Amino acid sequence: MIKLKKKKIPEAEIPTSSMADISFLLLLFFLVSTVIDVDTGIGLTLPEFTPPDQQELVPISKDRLAAVLINENGDVLLNNEVIAIPQIARTLKPRIESKTDLPANKKLVVSVKTDRKTDYNLYVQALDQIKDAYFQVRSEYSMTRLGKRFVDIDERSEEMKEIRDKIPITISIAEPEAIKK
Amino acid sequence: MKFEKKRASSKQNIPTASLPDIVFMLLLFFMVTTTLREVDVLVSFRLPEAKAIEKIENKRLVSYVWVGQDGRIQVNDSITQLTDIQKIMYAKRVALPNVIVSLRIDKSSQMGIVTDIQQELRKASCLRINYSTLLKI
Repeated sequence: MIKLKKKKIPEAEIPTSSMADISFLLLLFFLVSTVIDVDTGIGLTLPEFTPPDQQELVPISKDRLAAVLINENGDVLLNNEVIAIPQIARTLKPRIESKTDLPANKKLVVSVKTDRKTDYNLYVQALDQIKDAYFQVRSEYSMTRLGKRFVDIDERSEEMKEIRDKIPITISIAEPEAIKK
Repeated sequence: MKFEKKRASSKQNIPTASLPDIVFMLLLFFMVTTTLREVDVLVSFRLPEAKAIEKIENKRLVSYVWVGQDGRIQVNDSITQLTDIQKIMYAKRVALPNVIVSLRIDKSSQMGIVTDIQQELRKASCLRINYSTLLKI
């Protein structure tokens, strides 16, 4: 009798040793093409558009208005006094602080006005100074009254709301006069 | 007498079978977090620098307006005219009500063009804007 020997089938295997190489290649592609740049900038909310004939003039008392004017030569006026841009924060800070406990309709309004030919960079520098003044006051408020660092406070917490109520950032961007076009 | 080194009898291979799994996991992480660049920027610009800046946390809300050194304006994928901005941005605002417009304006620009764009944005009622700046160190 013939012994029927089953033919031994060699084990079928997919070679997986190069799999790591392939996935490394893919990984490298995504590593290189990823952009992890966070958008940073100075946030602002524009006023709603109203046609010129429907505009109403709301009088604002002098003591709650800080008018920043920047002309085309880069000279800065803060409440009719010539000032250098790096000094804006220092000058505004005490004024913002003094109005912390006043009601909402007595808070400081910072108005920024430029010429059409003012350098954009200067405008951003001035805005930066104003924002810096507000941030300094806010962080000092949270340190002294809440005992927390401002950066540690959660966006949606009651404390943040309190700070926003006490020290609202009101920056008004005035339209430049069209005369010097 | 024959000296023999003491040696473990087991094999000394590092198991590499799970290596692909690990790498795939990393790969998946990068694939998920990557936002591929959608538009080509056609204008050249250098951003101004500032200290008191905020991060825009939600990238999906952002839409960009570029202004180059030569004063050309780019919205979306192409150079546009000032008068077209209102129409384009209004469509964006309808699709995404709380859109943030990030203004990437060259630092040597003049305020005239900035205000013109802002006026157009106000007409399109895109009121949340962000002057894109770099961090001053």
